[in-house]
Amino acid sequence: MMKKIQVIGYPLFFVVMALLPAVLDSRWLVVATTFVIFTIVALSQDVILGKAGMFNMGQALFFGLGAYTTAILNSVYGWPMLATLPVAIIIPALFGIVLAGPIIHLRGDYLLVVTIGFNIVFIQAVQNNLGGVTGGPNGIFGLEMLQIPGMGAFQEAAPYYAALFVLLLTLFIIRNLESSKAGRALHYLREDDLAAGSIGINTRVYKIFAFGVGAGIAGMAGTVFANQYSAVSPEAFNFLQSVLFFSIVIVGGSSVPGILLGVFVMFVLPEIFREFATWRYFIFGFAMIFTMILRPRGLWPAKFGRIPKAFLEKGGNHGQQ
Amino acid sequence: MDTFLQQLVNGLTIGSMFALIALGYTMVYGVMKLINFAHGDLVAGSAFVGLFVFSQLLGGEVSLPVVIGVFLLTIVAISLLGFTVERLAYRPLRTAPRLSAVVSALGASMVIQNGIMLLWGPQMQIFPELIPSVIWEVGGVVISLMQVLIMALSTLLMVGLYFFVEKTKIGTAIRASAIDQDAARLMGINVNNIIVTIFLIGSSLGAVGGLFIGLYYRGITFNMGWQYGLYAFVAAIIGGIGNIPGAMLGGLLLGLFKAFIAGYVSSTWADAFTFILLIVILIVRPTGILGERVAEKV
Repeated sequence: MMKKIQVIGYPLFFVVMALLPAVLDSRWLVVATTFVIFTIVALSQDVILGKAGMFNMGQALFFGLGAYTTAILNSVYGWPMLATLPVAIIIPALFGIVLAGPIIHLRGDYLLVVTIGFNIVFIQAVQNNLGGVTGGPNGIFGLEMLQIPGMGAFQEAAPYYAALFVLLLTLFIIRNLESSKAGRALHYLREDDLAAGSIGINTRVYKIFAFGVGAGIAGMAGTVFANQYSAVSPEAFNFLQSVLFFSIVIVGGSSVPGILLGVFVMFVLPEIFREFATWRYFIFGFAMIFTMILRPRGLWPAKFGRIPKAFLEKGGNHGQQ
Repeated sequence: MDTFLQQLVNGLTIGSMFALIALGYTMVYGVMKLINFAHGDLVAGSAFVGLFVFSQLLGGEVSLPVVIGVFLLTIVAISLLGFTVERLAYRPLRTAPRLSAVVSALGASMVIQNGIMLLWGPQMQIFPELIPSVIWEVGGVVISLMQVLIMALSTLLMVGLYFFVEKTKIGTAIRASAIDQDAARLMGINVNNIIVTIFLIGSSLGAVGGLFIGLYYRGITFNMGWQYGLYAFVAAIIGGIGNIPGAMLGGLLLGLFKAFIAGYVSSTWADAFTFILLIVILIVRPTGILGERVAEKV
């Protein structure tokens, strides 16, 4: 089943996504780009929360760090958009590693609250215009547009294709991660970190590694975001966004199709049903409760490895403590 | 020195509000091991219900019976809401994976928060002045009747709760369920009823906290539950979550800390400093100040 989806579903998805700009007007193109960007962030959250099982509720921090890195390098130092990408990956990844270091031993809910704390400290630092480069509560605007040579009439769709490329890259990284030694280590430590430690997995190193990878991917999404809106502002990365990414991963079931579905429901449906805009979170709240009651492991639960279904513990909680 | 004493009074006032709200988090966490994200929104809801009860039901004239009526009716309404949340969003997930319950709690929080917005609108509402503004000046420190009432009533409620939990039979059952639900069940304790009890108590204390917030800050918004809830939750963690005296201590400490930051540094950085304090405390003492050190169970 899973194999079939990877072989047929993914290429089909990307072909459809690549052709979308031909049929969308500019408003829907923005919606589509946002959908792709938020999918990348949700996937990066999944590396930390879903794959490594750490309760991280501050993913918007890394997303914002990437976006602000790009914006500052572009507006203050005049770097071209594309050149900022490596820095916008490295800085959030370094922050992920440095911040995770001292808190990684905290369990469950304590980690959750500390990561919320990091997010709030970040927002407050940005709003108070730390270092005089973040633009305060208004953020930074008037960034340069991404130019891809040879695009001609499709220039308007450049941010969209940049986002789609980054999504492809992210899926590639995640696929490789899943089938690598590191991916297996993360899987074991999510199931039971004490047992993982006792079979020789260096849990501390792998937990920090997961934070580094997740933060780096979120940073990439940040660059694309800054490029899409030619602007960054603090509200786009506040703690509510982190809550949404957290919920998307769990409601989706921490699998790629589940996350795509989650991002679609959270960010695209509200654009379709605009007249219900004020009811948006009221309805989502109920949807989150009922999904969890009816499908406690998410809409589309992730599978790992090739263990036949019959051998899996019935009602097992798939590593969620 | 005057600034110090003034901020001490302010800090103790907001600290006792935080402590009241933190108790709701810590009691639920103690028994269910679940962050009750909806609690902060119940607190916000309490301020709006109080506003509604005062201006629509009780005629909008300030007098002692009316004020007592506002408190009682609001407490009843909010504890019923807390009871409903437990029934609909938490009880079906009692045996589900931990993260599912967290997401359900977040969902419940969104429903209440946006329910308030749909009923009262997104703009800020002004909470009525239920307590006459009497102000004393003692040695250069300004203290109002409201601050005295907030501190006195909070202390009374907390002392009452402490004796309830430590000395009564139901209190013993609550403590037993917090230590080990299965063992408590074997001793003949109906854990479901205990959970309902703590939700009722926690929501009632939160309702009082919400009314205090309305009285003290005057401006109430539908999304303030996140803000105050998060502070109260941080207070509960600083004190050691699951520990009732810990929540009181944490609340007071956090209130004082916040007041001194606002008085001596700058209020625009208050949130950041609060969370830095939390992170430092958790690095030094991973289970909070009064929290027990739990050995890893195998």
